[in-house]
Amino acid sequence: MNITELLNVNLIKLELNSKTKEDVIKEMANILDENGKLLDKDKYIKAVTDREKEFSTGIGMGIAIPHGKSSGVKEAALVFGRSINGIDYQSMDDELAHIFFLIAVPEESSDEHLKILSQISRKLMHKELRKGLMEATSPEEVITLLEK
Amino acid sequence: MKFVAITSCPTGIAHTYMAAEALSMAGEEMGVDIKVETQGSVGAENQLTEADIREARVVIIAADTNVSKERFAGKTIIEVGVKDAIKDPNGLIQKAIDIKIEDKNTSKQASDIKEEKVEKKGVYKHLMTGVSYMIPFVAAGGILIALSFAFGIYAFKVDGSIAAALKDIGGAAMGLMYPILAGFIAFSIADRPGLVPGVVGGMLASTVGAGFLGAMAAGFLAGYTIVLLKKIIKLPKSLQGLMPVIILPVLSTLVVGLVMMYVIGKPVSALTVAMSKYLTNLSGANAGFLGIILGLMMAFDMGGPFNKAAYTFGVSTLALAPSSAIMAAVMAAGMTPPLGIALATVIAKKKFTAEERESGKSAWALGLAFITEGAIPFAAADPLKIIPSTMTGAAVAGALSMIFKSAVVAPHGGIFLLFIPHAVINLGGYIVAIVAGTIVTGIMVSILKKDVVVK
Repeated sequence: MNITELLNVNLIKLELNSKTKEDVIKEMANILDENGKLLDKDKYIKAVTDREKEFSTGIGMGIAIPHGKSSGVKEAALVFGRSINGIDYQSMDDELAHIFFLIAVPEESSDEHLKILSQISRKLMHKELRKGLMEATSPEEVITLLEK
Repeated sequence: MKFVAITSCPTGIAHTYMAAEALSMAGEEMGVDIKVETQGSVGAENQLTEADIREARVVIIAADTNVSKERFAGKTIIEVGVKDAIKDPNGLIQKAIDIKIEDKNTSKQASDIKEEKVEKKGVYKHLMTGVSYMIPFVAAGGILIALSFAFGIYAFKVDGSIAAALKDIGGAAMGLMYPILAGFIAFSIADRPGLVPGVVGGMLASTVGAGFLGAMAAGFLAGYTIVLLKKIIKLPKSLQGLMPVIILPVLSTLVVGLVMMYVIGKPVSALTVAMSKYLTNLSGANAGFLGIILGLMMAFDMGGPFNKAAYTFGVSTLALAPSSAIMAAVMAAGMTPPLGIALATVIAKKKFTAEERESGKSAWALGLAFITEGAIPFAAADPLKIIPSTMTGAAVAGALSMIFKSAVVAPHGGIFLLFIPHAVINLGGYIVAIVAGTIVTGIMVSILKKDVVVK
């Protein structure tokens, strides 16, 4: 699997500025937009927030994976964001979320991309990876960790 | 101790897989064997086999989507939301260990059902998808045409009349029957990309006169063409976006279209011509025998080359004389297939699904109006049982009609014709012929068809 198809150093922000759930989605969506991954930012954000309304993607353990499948997405991509102080993401375990993966998937996506995303989702369940991501000091390190 | 699980979430991108991973990890930690099938956006992965399910103590379904439980008949199932599996996988597995098994002897039963289903999946499932989309078109079209006849059997010939409008509307709905059948068979096989070649192939089946059997062939051809094209065409990433919008539709439609025109269309039209010749030569033959042949042809493909040849032959005899015994036999034989099936849905309820029983009600109306197509949804769903039954009944009706020397003055109208004085010669015998054919088909269908397996 080649995660670099979806994630590169420009899509990684180790210190997010946002303090709220709403802002963190916007902040990360902006990163996607700046990197030319979106066709219609508002449409994509709506898809993500609609998904959150079903139930929070704050899955606990300090992780949130907001995601949206939308025609507003140009190509499948991933943003990695980190908040050292943590953000209240209405997570299932009521803890603050520190690690964010914002996933963008177009309506018609290749299976390959979806498989990569599913692999990342699986890996996030492992404690060592979460610890590594919290301690990473550079975007390159994040990519190396996820590629393992 | 072994367990199986299914995880699934609405977007199928993240939670499905996190839940699966959480369960696998927890299983490992707790020393139990657990196999997790994920039903995400890439379809089902790590699929549970029949053996997996049979050996499993409990089935865990962690999903926020509708997961089919058909496979797990007789199993103890624990159902939770996908997030519950992420949050507390260990607790969930513990629950699966602790739960009391409701019925230990059902594992064999479950596998039996599975086997039956496996057989019916694939081809049968695709066929049923096509048929179920087609049914309302047949009902709408057929009943509107029948309504037009209610204004008088030639009422539609008056331009601008409501009868003419009804016939046109009904004809439009009826005309979509084959494209819908073929389109949704292909859709069932190959999802959205299948629709285009399927619909077009179905349309061509109707223009080349290949009837519903041709449309079924077109549907399967279209579906598997897409499957094949997807396998053999490898494009650079930058061009992949072209696949669903240009490449697949154009290529698949081209392939299916060419096959329909040349491989199916040519022989079909040759067959129709040969059939017509054969029938013309038969004109002087024994009346009862000719009736049998006409009946068999009318009911074999219901709209395909055999049916068309018989019908055209009937109409042509009407041009030579004011009333025609051959046309009468053709009409009787065209009425009994839907009527006989409708009868079967009443006398053998168990052999039909609820949807089919409802559809049987409209089959009465369509049969009475001499709209043979009313039988097609049933014939398409179970051709090997239905077609021999409709053929036998129609042969009986055709032969009796000929033997009784019944004759009709118009090439359509069905029951509406019967109400018009002098439109049918030897009306009593004609009715006997139709009723007899209906009963024969009804009984044969009831005997041949298997009971519907209750899900």
